[in-house]
Amino acid sequence: MSAATEPMRGRVSTHAAVTFLKNNPIFVAIAILAVITSIVEPKFRTTENLDNIIRQFGVLIFAALGMTFVIMAGFIDLSIGGIISLVAVVTVTQIDQVGQGPAILIGLGVGLACGLLNAILILTAGALTQAEALFITFGMSLVYGAVALMYTQGVTQFLTYSQSDISIFNAINSGSIGPLSVSAVMFLIALAILLTIERRTYMGRTVVLTGGNKVAARLAGIPISRSILMIYAISGLMSAIGAVVLASRVTLADPTMGTPWMTQAILAVVVGGTALVGGRGSVLWTVFGALLLILLNNCLNLLGFSSYIQFMLRGVILILAIWLDTAKQNAVSK
Amino acid sequence: MVEASASPALLSIKDVSKAFPGVKALDRVSLEVHGGVVHGIVGENGAGKSTLMKILSGVYEKDSGEITFEGKVIEKTTPVESMHMGLAIIYQELNLVNTMTVGENVFLGRFAESGGRAGVHAKARALLDSIGCKVNTHKLVSEISVSDKQMVEIAKALSFDSKLIIMDEPSSSLTNDEMEKLVKIIHDLKAKGIGIIYISHKLDEIFGFCDVVTVMRDGHVIDTKPVGELTRNDMIAMMVGRTIENEYPPRPDCAGEPILEIKHIRTRKLKDVQLTLRKGEILGLVGLVGSGRTELVRALFGADKVADKSILLDGKPVEINSPRDAIALGLSLVPEDRKLQGLLLGFSVEQNISLAVLTRLTRFGFVNSKEETEVGERQIKALNVKTPSGRTKIRSLSGGNQQKAILGRWLEMHPRVLVLDEPTRGIDVGAKYEIYLLMKKIVEDGGSIILISSELPEVLHMSNRVATICDGRINGEFDPAVASADEIMAKAFEFA
Repeated sequence: MSAATEPMRGRVSTHAAVTFLKNNPIFVAIAILAVITSIVEPKFRTTENLDNIIRQFGVLIFAALGMTFVIMAGFIDLSIGGIISLVAVVTVTQIDQVGQGPAILIGLGVGLACGLLNAILILTAGALTQAEALFITFGMSLVYGAVALMYTQGVTQFLTYSQSDISIFNAINSGSIGPLSVSAVMFLIALAILLTIERRTYMGRTVVLTGGNKVAARLAGIPISRSILMIYAISGLMSAIGAVVLASRVTLADPTMGTPWMTQAILAVVVGGTALVGGRGSVLWTVFGALLLILLNNCLNLLGFSSYIQFMLRGVILILAIWLDTAKQNAVSK
Repeated sequence: MVEASASPALLSIKDVSKAFPGVKALDRVSLEVHGGVVHGIVGENGAGKSTLMKILSGVYEKDSGEITFEGKVIEKTTPVESMHMGLAIIYQELNLVNTMTVGENVFLGRFAESGGRAGVHAKARALLDSIGCKVNTHKLVSEISVSDKQMVEIAKALSFDSKLIIMDEPSSSLTNDEMEKLVKIIHDLKAKGIGIIYISHKLDEIFGFCDVVTVMRDGHVIDTKPVGELTRNDMIAMMVGRTIENEYPPRPDCAGEPILEIKHIRTRKLKDVQLTLRKGEILGLVGLVGSGRTELVRALFGADKVADKSILLDGKPVEINSPRDAIALGLSLVPEDRKLQGLLLGFSVEQNISLAVLTRLTRFGFVNSKEETEVGERQIKALNVKTPSGRTKIRSLSGGNQQKAILGRWLEMHPRVLVLDEPTRGIDVGAKYEIYLLMKKIVEDGGSIILISSELPEVLHMSNRVATICDGRINGEFDPAVASADEIMAKAFEFA
């Protein structure tokens, strides 16, 4: 009997694997990119390159992890570009005033405050749709960016010109704990905390419930306002961490440096499979979304594609991801 | 009347049926409308009036049957095509573009063929004059009154040279003076030989100016008769009368001390609401759409912010400013619109059930998923929810089972007061009976229920006491054991 069931089980598990890959085409895409890159560039498989990839994760992954909560709740945060710029310049300029540790804490505080401000504006405006949140946070992005410009008079602040000790920044950029780089450890800790919040806590549940059906959730006693405050606070704080990581890596803070990361973060979340309409998603999926984006950049660079084509491809991937998701959802609801 | 019937019908509807998942909205409906006749259509909410109109205008497609308009068979149509054919519908929620002028709205999308901007205003002026409307065609629609908006809609219909104009509850937002103006226009249109279908549930209007009336109920046409041959009571009886045997469990016994007392709630819609609910009682609340019954429930439950209210629970005043407050006090609400207000379609049955007691399942911020599963399973079993498992997405369940899951959500918190707003809408008979049994069990266990339903028989059979709400006022109280459906309906229609 066991002999008869053995091949059966084999077939079933193959079938399950195929279904899994069909439902999660992102893993296929990641695998294809990895294979192409390692054929074109044998160096791809070296540990050096792997480390490079994780380092590129940097600001993107932190901002995208925060953004995942916002999108899961059915909202969006376009202000993170401004927040990253502002936090970076504030942190770097404060090093000489208060020392590097307190400067980082001030930076994180600024990020958190920006996020809370977004939420308060959204709540006061009674903005309960994604479109309204989109425009409010877009407006705030301009505000934060402008504050960063005013604060620095538009001058780039160099981390290495600092009079004080910048050892924490150096550690974030190039230090390692055992086999892992410091930024990789920071990423793993952030992921573990956010994943726990998402999967296990009441807070995390209110976030997806808000995204699932605000009206019904509110009528069942779920605190929607609190959930909105929380998602934007997390998004602001995670962007701030991203800003510190970014400043450490490029050893400077420029008042416009955050701008490109907003689209990239949203892209990572959506490509990862979190529904733009909310109610469904995971920070874990976002990790794979970010991985796909970075592999794609890496691969295209190695193949010698121009950055213009890369921009275009990002757009194509975003549309493709939304299209696939919509198709999947339509199939489910039918 | 006689000469109108002799001429060929302007619009003839034969055996038209339409089903939605779980509901037969129209069942072989037949109807003839003649030019120069005001044809009233009445029926309770959910009788099928709106569905029929939406089929005529092309919003929905009929499943079967035949529709002929001016002798031509209409198979499939779109709202724009039906306009051009000469069949205009004026919806309750008027379809005008607020940010454009009156003139532009009349000729919306037809500027070029109407002679550009100047031509549009001149022609609109002429049309509005012909119905005695003085409103300036250069004014923005957002700046004119509701009754003027209605006139603009009528002018728009006339601009298409409409042969048939359908008005869907046009009076719901009009004052008495405005109504008189509308009646005059209806008479003018009728004199021009235009056919008018006038949908309403205000009987005064039907008797006031309709020539013929069709009564609908549960997707059927009960009868079409000249208005002169009917009395008011005949019509109410036709609207509500249905024979029911063993659709309901026996009425539970009542009732103890007052538990919930609404001293007053005042909003724009609610004028004078006083209501007392006793322990172990099912209180039926009957009112038409727009009577304020939904607003009352939402205000009570804290879903809408209402400053001016006074509510006592166990004789003590309570503050309810959000659903959260209400739930903390032991109040619960099964809302009217299951899909929009009740369900989280993308979530599991279990997660839908645990919603109201989620704080109870949380310790130090963490949700106890084992307990959550237990809660889900307990309610699935207790309520006989038919689902493959607690982890199944609630989307894939039938309407009745979804509703039972929502009831389970509230039963888990042992509510002191349960408000059920249309709890059996769109649910098959079997599941209905189960829900009735459940209601009975809840009150036997010491809970109290406010039951709101458009289905009068349901209210009559389940309630210990029935209150009617009309025009924002509680205007009557009945003992359903002795009161007749007609009496209660008459009261619900009182200010109508």
